[in-house]
Amino acid sequence: MKYLKKLSDYAVAGGVGAMLVAGLSGCQQKSDEGAYQGEAKPKGAFVIIEETAPGKYKIKDEFPADETRIVLKKLDGTEKVLTKEEMDALVKEEAAKIDNGTSELTQPNAEVTSQNGGMSLGSAILASAAGAIIGSWIGSKLFGNSNYQNNRKAGYKNPSTYSRSTKSFNKPRKSTAKSGRSGFFGKKSSASSKRSSFGG
Amino acid sequence: MIQLRKTEALDPAYLEKLGFVWHTDSDETPYISDQLVILSEAEAEAYYEAGNELYDMFVEAGDYVIENNLFHEIGIPFNLIDLIKESWENDVHWHLYGRFDLAGGIDGKPIKLLEFNADTPTAVFETAIVQWAILKQNSLEEESQFNALYEALVENFKRLVTLEESVEAFEERYEGWKFLFTSIKDNAEEENTVRLLQHIAEEAGYVTEFAYIDEIEFSEEDGIVYGGETYELWFKLIPWEDIALEESDLAMLLKSIILNQKAIIFNPAYTLMFQSKAMLKILWDLYPDHPLLLKSAFEPLAGKKQVAKPIFGREGESVTILNADGSTAAAIEGDYGNHKMVYQAYTDLPRDSEGARYQAGLFFAYESCAVGFRKGGLILDNMSKFVGHIVR
Repeated sequence: MKYLKKLSDYAVAGGVGAMLVAGLSGCQQKSDEGAYQGEAKPKGAFVIIEETAPGKYKIKDEFPADETRIVLKKLDGTEKVLTKEEMDALVKEEAAKIDNGTSELTQPNAEVTSQNGGMSLGSAILASAAGAIIGSWIGSKLFGNSNYQNNRKAGYKNPSTYSRSTKSFNKPRKSTAKSGRSGFFGKKSSASSKRSSFGG
Repeated sequence: MIQLRKTEALDPAYLEKLGFVWHTDSDETPYISDQLVILSEAEAEAYYEAGNELYDMFVEAGDYVIENNLFHEIGIPFNLIDLIKESWENDVHWHLYGRFDLAGGIDGKPIKLLEFNADTPTAVFETAIVQWAILKQNSLEEESQFNALYEALVENFKRLVTLEESVEAFEERYEGWKFLFTSIKDNAEEENTVRLLQHIAEEAGYVTEFAYIDEIEFSEEDGIVYGGETYELWFKLIPWEDIALEESDLAMLLKSIILNQKAIIFNPAYTLMFQSKAMLKILWDLYPDHPLLLKSAFEPLAGKKQVAKPIFGREGESVTILNADGSTAAAIEGDYGNHKMVYQAYTDLPRDSEGARYQAGLFFAYESCAVGFRKGGLILDNMSKFVGHIVR
């Protein structure tokens, strides 16, 4: 039967596999920070990077999230969530390469070389949606570079992942006039029971 | 006797990290059992087939209710009837997912429909994620589950746009319509169930946002507005009958919003028909003696052990088990006592060696896609435990 699955079927990070490692990214109980109000873009990105050959990485999937998280799926099948420190160190290392001109991201023909296996981990992170967030301090020397814009695509395992990501990240939000009613169920608070009172 | 496999219990800290914060019941016992039900492949297959067949039967029954104007009989609030008819007529009102509660299917007992949670089913997180987490923590990578709820939801989210079995055209046809996900404030289970669904919709490729119901603005002209943005798609884990009975102005606004085609709401209003336990009686009328059904009526069944349940009751509240002589075998108090009742022939749930009873929750998202179990006493209430499974 097609819906009989094994956990090892999820060895490739993504979907359930990513959930089991990183959990519900951006899931917060508190949410009255007004963070959503009129913000132009999501605050963070959830990125899954896969090691495709020793030392070579590609972006498996990414989507907008409240918090930036990078899940690394290594060749040996293990998965880990990169810490903030690890992300920062990798981005810093890559920034140094950009400065001295050795980063794959700014090479004119990197797309050719990167097709045989992927990019370095630092390059892949900066190519991902998370790159623009955690590496924002690198600024236009990277993000304004036309080679970078071309090479980014090569960092994605599947071309549709790239187009889907840009679609979900680039939506500008426009505002509309107010005219409706709000506050429904405003007085309703759940009873003391922890579990939901409905749904069976 | 149900076959079980003992595992190491899940670490609450790990569950919290996953976003699954409702891991402990109010009596301080873990909500997630450390046992796994062992299913055979044939049993899993039988659940799969049963769900698909039952869904087709519910669609027939829905047609029958609408054609014969039986809304009052099945307890539908009058102010939702137009919405239900409208949502039934048009394919864009796609049913995202539901959960059949089933007796039997294990231990040689036949599968019997208890009810269909079609509007606001919970236990998504437990089934889609926590069941796998148990296997992961216990290094059971090679054990199988009948559990593709996550992927089936990704696919079915895409079908809200493709409106056909194939999801290939999703990227081509999706024009960036924004999807808002909503729960009522201050209930972590409901909120994180909704946030999980939001996460899955993001994975499918939607632009999404989360808002509590009281923060959203509803307008006949503009539709569903939050934070200055208009949302074309709205998922609410709030029962339609609560909207109809507690916030009738909202029900009216939603009707205009749908009729003016300002937004599409999930699950669609017609799922309230499926959710009504009065449908058990309609199904029995349409499919008498069907092997997946238990005899059901609007009045007590003469000379039969039976269960009286309110047609929109939840969590076992106001449910009574009646012996064949009419005496009470078990009862749970509740707020639904003055609701219309349906009387369903009693069937004993399969039991484990300690006498605990098990009920299967079979998820349906375009087709049957996953199973999980709940265990408890004679009547499963909100102290029942979630039990994962393996197939071998």
